[in-house]
Parts: sequence; structure tokens; C-alpha cells
Amino acid sequence: MNRINRDTIVAIILLLLVGFFAYSSFAIKTPVFERLAPGQMGPGFWPRIILTGLAIMGLIYLFQSIVNPPPPGEKRGGLIGWYRHYKNPIWCFAVFAAFLTIIPVLGMLIAGLIFVFSLMTMLGPKDGLAVKRHVLTTFGTVGGMWFIFACLLEVQLPKGQLTSVFDEWLLVNICGIVSSIGELFADAGPSCSALMPSV
Amino acid sequence: MLANSELMTVSTMLLMVVGVVAGLIAGAIPGFTIAMAVVLVLPFTFGMTAVQGLATMIGVYVGGLSGGLMSGILTGIPGTPSSVATTFDGFPMARKGRPGLALGIGVWSSFFGGVISAVVLVLVAPQLARIGQEFQPWDYFALMAFALTVTASLAGDNMVKGLIAGFIGLLVATVGEDAVVGVPRFNFGSDAVQQGFAFLPVLIGLFAFTRLLSDVQDTKKAQENLGAHSAESVRIEHMKAAKEVLSRWGNLIRSSLIGVFTGVLPAAGSSISNILAYDQAKKYSKEPEKFGTGTIDGIVAPESANNATAGGALIMMMALGIPGDIVTAVMLGALLIHDVVPSPTFIAEQPTIAYAIFIAFFLANFIMLAMQSLTLRGFVAVTRVRMYMLASVILFYCALGVFALNNVQFDMWTLFWFGVGGFVLRSLGFPIVPIILGVVLGNIAENALAQVIAISTDPMMFLTRPWSLFFIILGLFSSFFHVYQKNRSIKRWTLGFIPAMCLFLSIPVFMMEGVFRPVLGVGLGLFGLYLIVQRARSGWKLPDAEPVMEVGDL
Repeated sequence: MNRINRDTIVAIILLLLVGFFAYSSFAIKTPVFERLAPGQMGPGFWPRIILTGLAIMGLIYLFQSIVNPPPPGEKRGGLIGWYRHYKNPIWCFAVFAAFLTIIPVLGMLIAGLIFVFSLMTMLGPKDGLAVKRHVLTTFGTVGGMWFIFACLLEVQLPKGQLTSVFDEWLLVNICGIVSSIGELFADAGPSCSALMPSV
Repeated sequence: MLANSELMTVSTMLLMVVGVVAGLIAGAIPGFTIAMAVVLVLPFTFGMTAVQGLATMIGVYVGGLSGGLMSGILTGIPGTPSSVATTFDGFPMARKGRPGLALGIGVWSSFFGGVISAVVLVLVAPQLARIGQEFQPWDYFALMAFALTVTASLAGDNMVKGLIAGFIGLLVATVGEDAVVGVPRFNFGSDAVQQGFAFLPVLIGLFAFTRLLSDVQDTKKAQENLGAHSAESVRIEHMKAAKEVLSRWGNLIRSSLIGVFTGVLPAAGSSISNILAYDQAKKYSKEPEKFGTGTIDGIVAPESANNATAGGALIMMMALGIPGDIVTAVMLGALLIHDVVPSPTFIAEQPTIAYAIFIAFFLANFIMLAMQSLTLRGFVAVTRVRMYMLASVILFYCALGVFALNNVQFDMWTLFWFGVGGFVLRSLGFPIVPIILGVVLGNIAENALAQVIAISTDPMMFLTRPWSLFFIILGLFSSFFHVYQKNRSIKRWTLGFIPAMCLFLSIPVFMMEGVFRPVLGVGLGLFGLYLIVQRARSGWKLPDAEPVMEVGDL
């Protein structure tokens, strides 16, 4: 009977990682100028306690997986089957990583618009009506959130290297109008911005 | 008074209303959990004061607990796991042509359940907090260990995976400079990692990211409407519903107390309490056969219990500094963001925040009642959103919210990597909640241990201090509680589990100061002995197996 199963492999990888971190924990040195007082806990002590616990649990997990192997899961038909099963999450991660990569180039707003539209179109239907709906939803939600964070909460969102002029223009014109309205209200009564938390 | 003045401002009240509405919307959307709603609201609270931030999150919490009943009653699909049992009778009643009454009973039961637990919270938490002042570093450390073991034991069939997940969370918390001498750990030369991982990106990555990607894994399901048929003609029958709920006061109080008690148990939560309360209501009912056909008691029990659970979880968070459920775990994280360290002395050291939480929880129930009635149609419309659209927008929002924390792009990568890690671990059957708790409690536990070692290196102190010993014993028994539950009425050793726990726990309780607690310890010991004698007389015979209702059965 083949006793190697998914749990066994996961347990072995876990134990290898524990070994790697345990080895790395010995590289954590207290600086010479920072002599530990008697009874003072060293910086590597607590991680090593955790790693000991993790190693014990990893060994139990390995033992369990060999002695009492889990029932075989549904057959997914090799690598292609596995890919089909996890296709959406894999693409979500890939698109998200691409989004984070292009933020320094295109800025949060444009990168966000591209990200949300791409993800919606990738996960959802792709007919003309659906795509129109995706465009509208993307502009409404991303634009709305950008407005809340950039104008109302005054968060300095990342500007793109290529789009910094456009980002600046938006901040001056959109957020500038909002602050002008806010000032108008401030003359009349309690400020709108007083109701909003400032970040 | 200070808490009152800080809470009773127009801005805080408005934020609470927004929080309750956000919670109601999140609760109404099937598959969108309350914890996720609280996590997503967290970035908005950075710029607020601690009181405002917590009041907003409590609003989301209470709103979310109640929001689930709408989709549960109108569509038969529970919005959140906390309203699973509500669908058993709520949906049949709605189908019989009384959706307004079903909703009304749900709304009013939620309200009364919340108010009852708020009263218990106000009465019990300060008493427990006094005990917290007796705590020394040994007791803190044992308490943290207990919290982690309980969470791991609730991880389901595989306790080992739960414990591994807890240890992984603790390990994540060690990354970055250590608190004692400021030496970087496990940063592998990276300056960005040297500061350690910010709590929020880790939390959102592990929880929200993982959850959303699981929801869109199946393309067909991701493109379907989330539920909800038309609710245009529904009007809540308030007067009749309130009368019906109050006339069932026995069921209401019992279910609320079940909710509070379940909330006090670390990591148990409202997904369990609503089913427990439903089960008990059925057992106590004179007409148990009517349950499942649209009976009023079947809605009162789960709805009052799930809202009352919030009070119980808050008791645990405030009195001992450990989370009662995932939502309070997030709130503990929020406290840390506001430089408030949760601990058993929290109420004594931060009375303004503590009493603001009491009042906010009380008020949130009233706001929930008003908002649920006013905007029912809008909430139901929200459930028509398609999951893939929701997921795409929320993923962007996660990145935006995480960036807003420190204006550091590295935090968004942290979100991404923990999202990947969380998804992989979840796919491999590891629970996520213990990891989050490990991250939240890791540094607190390390600091407590550093204090312990600085005072004395004698490990026997853990066994000679009553509270420390109490939590160690409790932790050991709670670790095996799931095994006990699974084998109850099947294996003979389970007959000795509760008596043994009583006997062992009586020792530290007897060792405590004063008169009341030693007497309580003697009582606990005698109760354990009584159970042993009773079971020995019956020849350690197993009772007739009674089917135990489990969440998985539903």
C-alpha cells in the first residue's frame, strides 16, 4: 500500500521549513553592546520555543499521515485537472501581483481601474452587455473608493511615474472642489470634514 | 462619564449608524462573513480615536449578526453561519405567506438577545476584570497558551493541524525586531521585513483574501446571483412580532444565555450558539414536532442566541484580553493599532474605552433595530450582487485599505503573500483562525514570557501560582475537548472526562486568595467526586446514545 499521500508531503515540507528557520534562529545574535542582564530573555529564545512546538506537531502530523492516511480525495486528472480546479484563484493572484507591479508606473487609480475591470471580465461573462456592466461598475467603485481615500481621508495614494501629471491634476481639481465646498459649509456650520476621520 | 461624552457625539453616532448598515449589508450577502466585514471596516478606523473605531466595529458586528436573518428568511440561504438555524423555521414561515412576521420576529429576537447580553456584559465584565488585576506574568503567559489551545481544539477533526496553524501564527509574529533588545529576526537581509509584518495586511491576506478566492473558485457559482428574490411587498409586522417574542420570554432568556455562554468560550462563536439554542428550544418545546415547519420559537431561539454571543465574546475580550471569536480577535488587533494592549487589566487601565464598548454595544442594538426596519428593501437588493463582481471590487479595496495604514507599498505585497499562504494552507485543510490568533497573541505572549524569565527562571512558578495552574489545566482539558465530544456516549473513558476536569480545576481554585474561591474549589471538587460516585454506582455504563446535533449535519 502506498503510504505517501498529500499530508505526508506537506508534513515533510513543514519539517524542512522548521529546520531552516531553526538554523536561521542561531544567526539571531544579541549585539555586543547590548549585554543581556542575568535572566534576560535572548532574542532567539522565543522563536526556538515556537519552532520546537512546531517540530513536535510536524512529527505528529507526519506520523498520523503515515499510520492513518487520509481517504483519497477526488481525482483531478493530473496537472491539467489541478489547474482547472484552481484556475480562478491562480489567475486572481496573478492579476493581483500584476496590479501591485504596475502601481509605481500607472498609479493607484489607473492600475486599480485596470485591475478591477480585468478581474471582473476574467471571472465573469464576457458578452457585450456584461463588459459594459463591468466598465460601469469598475469606474463607479474604483473611482468612488479613490475619491473617499484621496479626497475625504486625504491618504497620499501612490502616483504613477507615467501618470503623475494626471494624478496631480485629479487631486487638484476633484479634491480641490471638495475642499472648497467643505470650506463653504465650514462658514455656515460644523465642517463636513469634522465628521470624517483624517488619516 | 468620559466614555459617554466621547461616544455621544454626532460623528461617533453617525459612524455607528454607518457601521450597523455596513454590517447589515454584509450579513445579508450569503458567503460574506461578519468577520470579513469587520476586517474591511478596520482600515477606516485608523484615523479615528480608539473609542470611535471600536464603536464603528461594534456597529458592524451587531449589524452583521442581524443581517444574516434577512436572506435566511426570505431566500432560505443563510447570510452568515450565525443564522443557519434561523432558516429552519424562518424560511418555511415566509413561504407560508408570513415573511413580514418572520422578519419581525427575527429582528425583535435579535434586539432582545443583544440587549440581554449587553446587560450581562455590563454586570459580569467588571467583576472578571477585578480578578484580572491579580494576574502576574506567569498567569498572562498561561492564559495566552490556553487561548491558543482552545482555538486549535476547535479546529475540527484534526487538532494537530489547528495547533500547527497556531504555531505558524506565533512564528509570523516573531518576524522583525524583537521587543527586548530590538534585534531583527528572520528578515533575511530585507529592510522592509525588519520592521515586522503589519497586523492588518496579514489579517486581510489570510482571512478576506482566502475567503474571497474560495468563493470564486467555481466559475459557475461565482457568476450566479447570490440569492434573494423580490422583497418589494414585504413589510415587517413589528407590533405583532414584538408581542410574540416577549410572550416567549423563557425561550428568549434561555437562548440569550446560551449565546452569552458560547461567546465566552474562546473561538466558539455565533455559528455554534444559534444551533445550540435551536436544539435546546426544540427539546424544551411542548410541540417539538412543529419545529422546521415555521414555528415562532424556532426563529426566536437562534436569533436571540446569535446576537447574545457578541456580548459573551466581548466579556472575554475585555475581562481577560483574549478573543471570544474571530471578530473580537480583529478588535484586539484594532486596539493594538491604537496602542492599547489588551490584557486582563484592560478595564482597570482603559476605563474610557472599556465603558465606551459597553455603551456602544448597547446602543448598536437599538440602531440595528431602526436601520433594519428602515432599509429592508435595500439590503435585499444587495444580495442580488454577483460574487465575482463583489470579489473583484473587494480585492482592490483590500489593497487600498492596507496601503492607507502606513502609506507603505510593501504592506500590499504582505497582503498578497499572506493571501497566497492562507489560500494554500486552507486548501490543505489548515484552519485560518488559529494563525490569526497566533499573530495577535504572539508578541503579548513573548513579552509575558520575557517578564517571567526576568523575575525568576524557576518553571515551577507556573504550577504553584493558582491562576497559571488553572489555565494550564484548562488548556490541557480543552485541547482534548473535541475528542471528548466526538466520543461521548461511545467510549467509556469519556465518562471520566468532566469529573476529572472538575477535580483537577478544584486544586488551583482552592489555592486562590479569599474565602469565596477556596469554598468554590471545595464545591467543584465535591461535584467531581459526586459525578465519579454516581457513575461508579451505575457501573460506568454509557448512556443511550443521543444524536448530537452538529454544524456539519445541517
